[in-house]
Amino acid sequence: MQKYRRLIGRVLVGCAIALLASVVSPPVARAQGQPQMPGMPGMPATPPNVGNVLGTVTKASGGAVAGATVIATNTTNGSQYSASTGDDGQYSLPSMLVGTYDVSVLLGGFKPFKRAAVVVGTNTATQVDAALEPGDTESERQALLDRIEVLEKRLSDIETTAVLSDPETRVKRIEVYVDPNGVQTDEPVPGAKLEVTYQRERVYRRQTINEKIEEALADADDQSVRLGVDATTVAQGAGRTKGGEAFPNKKAYALASADLFFAAKLAQYTSFFADVVALSGAPPDREIPSLTLLNGYTARLVNQNELNLREAWLRTEFFGQRLALTAGRLDLTNYFDRNAAANDETTQFLSDALVNNQMLGLAVNGTGVVAEYDPKNAFNFRFGVQQSNPDASNLSDSMYSLAEVGYTATPFSLPEGHYRVWFRANNGEVDSKQAVGISLDQKLSPFVTLFGRYGTQKLPGDRDHYASAGLGFSNGMVFNPLDTWGIGYAQMDLATGDKERLTEGYYNFQLTDRLRLSFMLQHVLDSPGVESKFGYLLPGIRLQAAF
Amino acid sequence: MFNTARRLLVGGLVALAGGAIATVGLGAQAPGVKITDPTSVVMIVNRDSNDIGFMDIKTEKMIGRVFLGNNVNPHMVMMSPDGRYVVTGGTRANKAYVIDVRTLQLVKTIPVDIAPEHLSFSPDSRWYYQGNPDGDSISVIDMVSLTKIKTIPGFVEPLNVTFLPDGSKAYVGNYGAHWVGVVDVRRHELLKKIQVAAVPGVAKLDPDKYLGEIKGINIAALSNDGKLLYAADGDLGVVGVIDPIEDKVIKVIRVGRDPWRIYMNHDGKYAITPNNGDETISIIDLKTNKVAATLEAGPDMTGVNYAAGKAFVISSTSGMVYVYDMNSLKPAGRIKIGTNIQLETATTDTKEEKLYLADSTENSVVVIDAKTNTFTKIGNVGLYPWGTHIMESKDNYCH
Repeated sequence: MQKYRRLIGRVLVGCAIALLASVVSPPVARAQGQPQMPGMPGMPATPPNVGNVLGTVTKASGGAVAGATVIATNTTNGSQYSASTGDDGQYSLPSMLVGTYDVSVLLGGFKPFKRAAVVVGTNTATQVDAALEPGDTESERQALLDRIEVLEKRLSDIETTAVLSDPETRVKRIEVYVDPNGVQTDEPVPGAKLEVTYQRERVYRRQTINEKIEEALADADDQSVRLGVDATTVAQGAGRTKGGEAFPNKKAYALASADLFFAAKLAQYTSFFADVVALSGAPPDREIPSLTLLNGYTARLVNQNELNLREAWLRTEFFGQRLALTAGRLDLTNYFDRNAAANDETTQFLSDALVNNQMLGLAVNGTGVVAEYDPKNAFNFRFGVQQSNPDASNLSDSMYSLAEVGYTATPFSLPEGHYRVWFRANNGEVDSKQAVGISLDQKLSPFVTLFGRYGTQKLPGDRDHYASAGLGFSNGMVFNPLDTWGIGYAQMDLATGDKERLTEGYYNFQLTDRLRLSFMLQHVLDSPGVESKFGYLLPGIRLQAAF
Repeated sequence: MFNTARRLLVGGLVALAGGAIATVGLGAQAPGVKITDPTSVVMIVNRDSNDIGFMDIKTEKMIGRVFLGNNVNPHMVMMSPDGRYVVTGGTRANKAYVIDVRTLQLVKTIPVDIAPEHLSFSPDSRWYYQGNPDGDSISVIDMVSLTKIKTIPGFVEPLNVTFLPDGSKAYVGNYGAHWVGVVDVRRHELLKKIQVAAVPGVAKLDPDKYLGEIKGINIAALSNDGKLLYAADGDLGVVGVIDPIEDKVIKVIRVGRDPWRIYMNHDGKYAITPNNGDETISIIDLKTNKVAATLEAGPDMTGVNYAAGKAFVISSTSGMVYVYDMNSLKPAGRIKIGTNIQLETATTDTKEEKLYLADSTENSVVVIDAKTNTFTKIGNVGLYPWGTHIMESKDNYCH
């Protein structure tokens, strides 16, 4: 009952305000034929002050004139009303806003008739009769010009109103107060609890057909499963620069990779992602026994020509979207050590030593969860756990975990730089149980980014060390605006005495938004602890289509 | 009988309301002065209720709404520099509307070209330039006679007009092209087209991108000292720096992808481009004309406001406002305004303490305290508020 009292009260207040608005509203311009929309906020709910103009058009010599156009133009705001005379010469202009008008009557063959400053009062009918004089050449011309002006005005009004004017409905999330009896109110009342509910609201969004179509397409896109493809072919050659005949020489290699991505929005701030990959071909890593992968794609190669599910996870966000949780089958290292200049074998360096910190020490994807806390200030925090051995019978015996703190800085008046420190623990059957590392990408100028990584892992009795550094170039010093290039160096020093020194340079042409072509040149020099040294120079080319 | 009863009721309501509502419409009654200090109000342009709302800055109460007509769809509101008139372009009505600030009366409706949106005043308040993106023209309105005196043709989707401080020239951003139009304000003629940068040769490999849709120049924004203009080009991902003395580009600054436009910080040291293509912002050092920092931001950014030493970047569809410290040039948090809402643009008060942000889907204006990053929502300001404006604010813009 209280609900209805409130409703009635609202209606009364609404009517009162509408009455007030209608009485004191200014005489706004209003094209003929445009309907009033009672109930719209800011608009009168009852007809505003209006009056009529009517009369009869006759020939000066006597007799009614049919088909003459009568136009009344508001002298204040230019709004117009028009009508045509009937067979009896009579016309009527109803529901004109009160004000002062210039009235004219036009018809070919007659001189235009004009009467200025006709006052239209509230709820009154003002009589304007016209007697048309026979026209001459000049009056015919003037009548034609006046007629054109009227037609232009009408055309303008049609253009103006050619929009979808049906009121729309939109469901909105609202907060209401509900008492123990289930009575819902908009304002707090004693004993009522705040609840969230949903309610349809009628809105008066005026949209063009184009806007409607765009909105519908966007809605459909949101609800659909999105499919992405990343197809890459990498061809490399290898020429031995050091080492004996035991090592292959002057060989060519190629690897083709196709990733299919599926993404869908499941709920508010919750999404699903899956990546299915298939690879085939022979990368140099099958023949050249370097410590690190010379083609970063090799890490994805599980079985030739077979589809493999690399990732399938759900991501949801909490606490004002500050905290994100991702769980499912994933590659934990994707979420850590995200170096801006050396983190992507598809567009940047090809060598795995310049893509991943080798001390992260995870080679396989598995079931896991990542928590990312990003308050969007200079700091961010990440923690993740993943199964490190897919053959392990339980998670607790193969638990791989990473934690990272990131910081954005602008040191020494330089542009932005991102600095990270991470810690890794692994309780699986591995030699290295713990590792720690740092990573930075610091812009030296708008074009040049310095990057670096260092990592070390603890082994029984000693440590492995890894470091890399280089420069990335973008936004300048390039052939095309969106091209990028870089040079990098990485080294490994293992506790076993094995060493590796790797350098790479690449240039990535961004041909279109979906097509990239890269050229790489790598040199690797390995010093196995107990075997002879070997070195290779590897030119390469990478063609990538992503869409 | 009915009229008498209605008048009595109205009289009573006017007395009860203490004039608070009565400013909504004035016409039959003798118009009174409703606003004595033009800087005391926030103007709100309501696209779907087809009106301009006026909110008192001190009390944060609506003091009036001026209805413009059905299907008008007003887009941008602006007060003349002399504080006498408020104007808006009715996009669906192809008309410009002039409101008297003191009385909140609609005093003139002026037919312009097709789909008027953004507008600007000459510094002396004499000329009101109304951009007509679908008409590819600028309508010149004389604010003395309140008549349209000329339509300047030859533009390509003109979005924003910037007058030089001396009022001699105006610069027009063409969103459908990659050049800035220079207008001789004395003769109201398009003098020159300044190309901000060349389309890269690789564009021919991607005709769908370059021939399908064009995202050119939104605005040529004036530096605080009035000596240079900065024009961001969306497709080209650059900001062209224009010397208005010689009307030539003196530098091209590469920024992120698809910069929407550039916004000048109030201290004149930096400017920001929100880059919707890669969801970053580029902070440009105006002394060196180089990018000082590129920071992560959000999707569908519509504007940047500055207050309390911070930049507030509006991310329309995420319902978020991203905050950046303009001293350290580092991210400084994010304000979540709401869920499943759409934010539009904001203005900053002249004390640079508060932002007034249009929240269209909630029919609200969000008042953000720049110091604390807290906010309150003022509801029922009109249907689908699209933008806000405060006289003499340094952050008056539209989208």
